Amino acid sequence: MNYKLTIGWLYPELMSTYGDRGNIFILRKRCQWRGVDCKIIPIDFSTVNCQLSTVNLLFGGGAQDRQQTILISDLQKRIGPVLKQMIDNGTPGLFVCGSPQLLGRSYMTGDGTVLHGLGIFDMVTKHFGYDKPRCIGNMVVEVNSQKRTTVVGFENHGGRTYLGKSIKPFGKVIIGKGNNGEDKTEGAVYKNCIATYSHGPFLSKNPHIADWLISQALKQKYHKTIRLKKLDDALEWKAHDYMLKRLGYRLILR
Amino acid sequence: MRYNLAVSIGRIVSCVSTVFHKGAGGTWAGEIALRIYPNILKDLTHKLRKGIILVAGTNGKTTTSLMIKKIIESQGASVIHNASGANLLNGVVSALLLSTNKDWGIFEVDENVLPILLSYIEPKMIVLLNLFRDQLDRYGEVDAIAGKWKKSFSTLTEKTTLIANADDPLITAICEQLQAKKVYIGIENSSLYRKVMQHATDTIYCPKCGTRLTYGGFYYSHLGKWSCGSCGFTHPDVTITSKDYQCPIEGIYNQYNAISAAAVGVVLQFETTGIQSALASFTPAFGRMERMFARGKKVRIVLSKNPTGFNESLQTYLDSKDKGPVLLLLNDRIPDGTDVSWIWDVDFELLDEQKREIIISGDRVFDMAIRLKYAVTNLERITIFDSLASSLDAALAKTQSDETLWILATYSAMLDVRKIITGKSIF
Repeated sequence: MNYKLTIGWLYPELMSTYGDRGNIFILRKRCQWRGVDCKIIPIDFSTVNCQLSTVNLLFGGGAQDRQQTILISDLQKRIGPVLKQMIDNGTPGLFVCGSPQLLGRSYMTGDGTVLHGLGIFDMVTKHFGYDKPRCIGNMVVEVNSQKRTTVVGFENHGGRTYLGKSIKPFGKVIIGKGNNGEDKTEGAVYKNCIATYSHGPFLSKNPHIADWLISQALKQKYHKTIRLKKLDDALEWKAHDYMLKRLGYRLILR
Repeated sequence: MRYNLAVSIGRIVSCVSTVFHKGAGGTWAGEIALRIYPNILKDLTHKLRKGIILVAGTNGKTTTSLMIKKIIESQGASVIHNASGANLLNGVVSALLLSTNKDWGIFEVDENVLPILLSYIEPKMIVLLNLFRDQLDRYGEVDAIAGKWKKSFSTLTEKTTLIANADDPLITAICEQLQAKKVYIGIENSSLYRKVMQHATDTIYCPKCGTRLTYGGFYYSHLGKWSCGSCGFTHPDVTITSKDYQCPIEGIYNQYNAISAAAVGVVLQFETTGIQSALASFTPAFGRMERMFARGKKVRIVLSKNPTGFNESLQTYLDSKDKGPVLLLLNDRIPDGTDVSWIWDVDFELLDEQKREIIISGDRVFDMAIRLKYAVTNLERITIFDSLASSLDAALAKTQSDETLWILATYSAMLDVRKIITGKSIF
């Protein structure tokens, strides 16, 4: 049987700040290499609800403040309610960089304005002013995964995110700042969706997370567990381990 | 008193660093002088007889500044300029410390430094090339820079002329409603439109009202013939186009650099033929399409430090009549930007059009390897090296005697590979 997946990409022209599209390339190729047909559709001003309901896997990247203002009302009024329903029903997704802020309860911008999010993720984000230092740099996070227990990435955010009671963090920050630089949490997981402050091509050095997303999407669509063919990820793990070593990850553990 | 002390010590430091081959003044002299006397900039600029020309924008600063220098010098005027890359306050001060009896100061300035510089000096001209995403970890968002520029330009008077790229909607928006005079440049050649829009664009939604802009055509990234169907914000009429002046080097981005530099000559009322012949004799700055020889093989080094720049380097490499393998070098040191995410905004898929050898190295060689793994179909033609020196050896060995080795490198990697080839350092 030929499996098919449709990946929906939130506002690709407005929410793709710094190599975010890499995640789309990676998901698509990793599907294709296993004979899974993969279609990418934009979720933006031109998308109607019946198209949205064909999506099996969601992706959202980062946006600059101005871009966010352009799309926020369309997202809240039209796309948001359907998105919430899909995520509540188990559609998996990856939200990197700025998009998690839109999915949370609220986001206070640097000048103090409070924007209402979609309320899908039980969390709030506050930006304490443009004169406050941003959280910038490489990071290592420990996650609950069967294969590898680390993810590596690069964070660059001004806002600080605080998780509510009904939501779990994506992982524990070992190196870097994570959600707020205070409680060691990084990102969030709600149902089958992952939010992370790791921006850009997060999946490039974390193929285990890419495959988890693909597996979940297939499972949701075909209502059974489909074993994914193993790929040669030697390069990906070399890059991953190089960063762990350079950032002194092993040294901290022992 | 502090001024004299600052100047004297600065000059001594400058001499010492020149003697020790640390490059032409660099930034140390300026740094020390600034610490002794923070207001030094204001005083030093008064020594220039004719005035200051600033060159700003994400890509093309070094090449454009040198083109302007060439054009002005061809008319017999004397020029001081800052060393390439030394485009922070300390670099500008370093250059000024060495200037005695010069007519013009031509300075390329970092995006974040431009507003600070304008609080000290009133330039005769500011050349505004473009604004693209670049080293997000250092510069922040494009819109934030645009905002800072716009604010700092509000104090300019008609004594300053802005030479602005009309094909960039964000640059045009910044230049609206200012006292300063404006001269717009643009390509104006529909035969150069790209077939499809590139992914690495930053301003394709109206900077004024947020509606998606409509384009008659794109030259590269978001540069093109744009207009907003909603608020009526439109591409302004241009005074100087690519049809008016011939560009001495390949690449559409160099056409922008050339006509921006030519515009400076036009404002100064130089004759067209004079500007044209100065441009024709232009040779590229180091690492900017620079031609060299390494072990008898022809080499071209192209600084490629952000998505838009890298896309244009790749396109120029593929279109050039100088065929050969390509060496891609990716570092993540401070001058390169510590975040290498941007390589995923570069269209490396272009390399699939021609089956040439690809050699890669640099601090983040594995990140580059993964990017290529997802971009090209034929992975056997990619060779990966930890060591930069070994990668250069292998790349030269793969270059036939009638071929050219193209080296596309981020900033620090470009300096390093150039050092290996020439056997000496620039700074």
